[in-house]
Amino acid sequence: MLVNQFLFLGAVLFCIGVYGVLARRNAVLVLMSIELVLNAVNINLVAFGAMWHATDPANLSGQVFALFVIAVAAAEVGVGLALVLMIYRNRQSIDLDEVDLLKG
Amino acid sequence: MLAHLASFAWDAPSVDLHALAPEIVVAATLVVVLVIDAFTGEEQRWAASSVAGIGLLVALVPVATLAYDGATRVMFGGGYVVDDYALVLKALFLLSGYVVVLLSTNYIAEGDYWEGEYYQLLLASVLGMMVMASARDLISIFVALELLSIPAYMLAAWRKRDLKSDEAGVKYYLMGVFASAVMLYGMSVIYGYTGSTLLAEIAPRIGELVTSEPIITLGIVFVLIGFGFKVSAVPFHTWAPDTYEGAPTPVTAFLAVASKAAGFVALLNLIYVGFWGRHDVYEPLMWVLAALTMTIGNLIALRQTNVVRMLAYSGIAQAGYILAPLAIAGSSPEAADQALHSIVVYLLIYAAMNLGAFAVVMAVARKTRSAEIDTFGGLFSYAPGLTVAMSLFLFSLAGVPPAAGWFAKIGIFQALASAGDTSGYVLAVVVAVNSVIAFAYYGRLMRVMWMDDVPDGDTTPIRVPTSITAALVITAAVTLVIGVVPGVLTHFTDPINLLALGR
Amino acid sequence: MFGLLVAQNIAFYVIAALIVFGALRVVTCKNLVHAALWLVLVLAGVAGQYILLAAEFVAVTQVLVYLGAIVVLFLFGIMLTRAKTGHDLELDNPTPAKVGAGVIGVLLLGVMGYALWDAWRGQELGDIVVQRTAEVSDSLFSTYLLPFEVISVLLLAALIGAIVLARRD
Repeated sequence: MLVNQFLFLGAVLFCIGVYGVLARRNAVLVLMSIELVLNAVNINLVAFGAMWHATDPANLSGQVFALFVIAVAAAEVGVGLALVLMIYRNRQSIDLDEVDLLKG
Repeated sequence: MLAHLASFAWDAPSVDLHALAPEIVVAATLVVVLVIDAFTGEEQRWAASSVAGIGLLVALVPVATLAYDGATRVMFGGGYVVDDYALVLKALFLLSGYVVVLLSTNYIAEGDYWEGEYYQLLLASVLGMMVMASARDLISIFVALELLSIPAYMLAAWRKRDLKSDEAGVKYYLMGVFASAVMLYGMSVIYGYTGSTLLAEIAPRIGELVTSEPIITLGIVFVLIGFGFKVSAVPFHTWAPDTYEGAPTPVTAFLAVASKAAGFVALLNLIYVGFWGRHDVYEPLMWVLAALTMTIGNLIALRQTNVVRMLAYSGIAQAGYILAPLAIAGSSPEAADQALHSIVVYLLIYAAMNLGAFAVVMAVARKTRSAEIDTFGGLFSYAPGLTVAMSLFLFSLAGVPPAAGWFAKIGIFQALASAGDTSGYVLAVVVAVNSVIAFAYYGRLMRVMWMDDVPDGDTTPIRVPTSITAALVITAAVTLVIGVVPGVLTHFTDPINLLALGR
Repeated sequence: MFGLLVAQNIAFYVIAALIVFGALRVVTCKNLVHAALWLVLVLAGVAGQYILLAAEFVAVTQVLVYLGAIVVLFLFGIMLTRAKTGHDLELDNPTPAKVGAGVIGVLLLGVMGYALWDAWRGQELGDIVVQRTAEVSDSLFSTYLLPFEVISVLLLAALIGAIVLARRD
């Protein structure tokens, strides 16, 4: 298998995620799109990890990095949904364009 | 089977506890605050703030002993380095964390907020910044960034029932998480290209190329953009004014000073230790970011009617000044040295003067319940002390001696000139023009304070709580002493050195 | 050996197609709950790719943490914040913004695709050796011990803060 197979898959996923972040206005959906971007990163990291592991068996940084990303993503989503819940309590909506009391 | 197992023998990493002592003290303080908060009643709630403050000061002790010892301590194969540079910045983070605790004490206690948890998150964020000062590895930098940011997202939304504060938190959170995802993509391709997450190993592999490969350019640009968000560089600044206005004011001070400084520390680590040889990539990017950031920050600051928003935009402009030396850092090792020193000095002085300005705003807002510029009218007639202090901080921000800001700005000009090329000189002119623009809005606030009438005629003096007074005394003393005797500061910053290459 | 390689390639392309389709549905569909379920497909597919890359521990973690915890969190979030779980037209920005986002996405894909192609064209993954969990843990608890400890503080802080923000008071 080619490394680029995985990297292109990662790039496609990354761009879909970026599209989602820019096109969606519901906070939960934006968060889901960010998860797509993080998964793209992880595909990259694991593919690179396998590639470097094949030449140097001691090199596991790619996998370890991916594990850290997963752990941090879990913390981020927990915090994000807590914020979303809090906002919903206060205004019964989580649309981002209604969150515009403050202007540039 | 046994032989097979033996091949996975685990090498215990050598951990230098002395070098990690400042971080351990802060982490322990976090746990102590957590336990106290869990086992005491409503009337002992004040203890959280005192313990957090004491913990941050105690953590300065190992920082001092490490500095006295002077040796550079390297751990985890170069992934964690405790040197003069890291120690100076750790001291900065601890002290600004302490001042923020002082600013928070009354605000949080009187506002019916969650108190113990507030200080726990603050300590966690400070811990992330301290780790960032020593991190020389992509994974450590990423994890430190998240540890300093995630508590900050939640602190920004701490005024739970206030819609503005909610919005501050969510905006900051979504943009921050997205920026760190983009940064991670950059880190992943840099790892893929070099096969290492250690900045010291990345540097030779990407530095030896004659011109940059597209993938390296992509990786570096993505990583730097991720941190451009953190330091609120234009065009990634849109979260900053809203978040600053909506967040509780002590948190705003924390974000504007400590969090921003941590972003710059990460940029310095990455550029100096990892990407230094690739100046064909980061120099133009930094040039554009710096010029845009200071110009747009200043122009929008001119239009603000709210002091906190004005300080937010002035902070964006200041971030532009701090980015400027990075635009010439790659031209020679000497220029890199100059740039590094000017940035560290600027960060230290910026912390003192900006925290001071926020302290005054908080003290005044205790009486006026507002941060609109008009409410500062005639401040001198009933709060002369605060007016003088604010004038000192504004002089410093504008770069007028004897307040410390002039020394910081001279450093930036010297660094830009040291490259000796057109891009450096042009950027120096941009900095100079912007410094003049900035006089306008600092001067306007000054005029309102000294000349205008009190808007509602209420001239009862402001009662400033002890903790805010202490914060004011600390920041004003630092601003004034460094401004008059810059040697006090350069004594600590002169030994700093961060280049992995070119030595 | 050759047969295995062909099988791996077929598996890769099938799973990749599922991932891309699922991801497109996540960012376009008009129903929050459906979006979360499409996200499950993407995450499971990504776990499959990790197995193809012989990264077993990351694959298991992906299933446990992403599928097991994060998706459930999303579903909880949706259910606690929105009674309306059916068709909803107000999930997206207005059309011009969507077109702009699409253009940015496609341009970005072009740039990234070119850079990746340029750097790793023709590069084989080589003989993929299974990366054992024991090796991963050795690396995690020696070279990356410090970030590991830092993550523990991070999780503690996230826990504390999330409870404070989400609770009713």
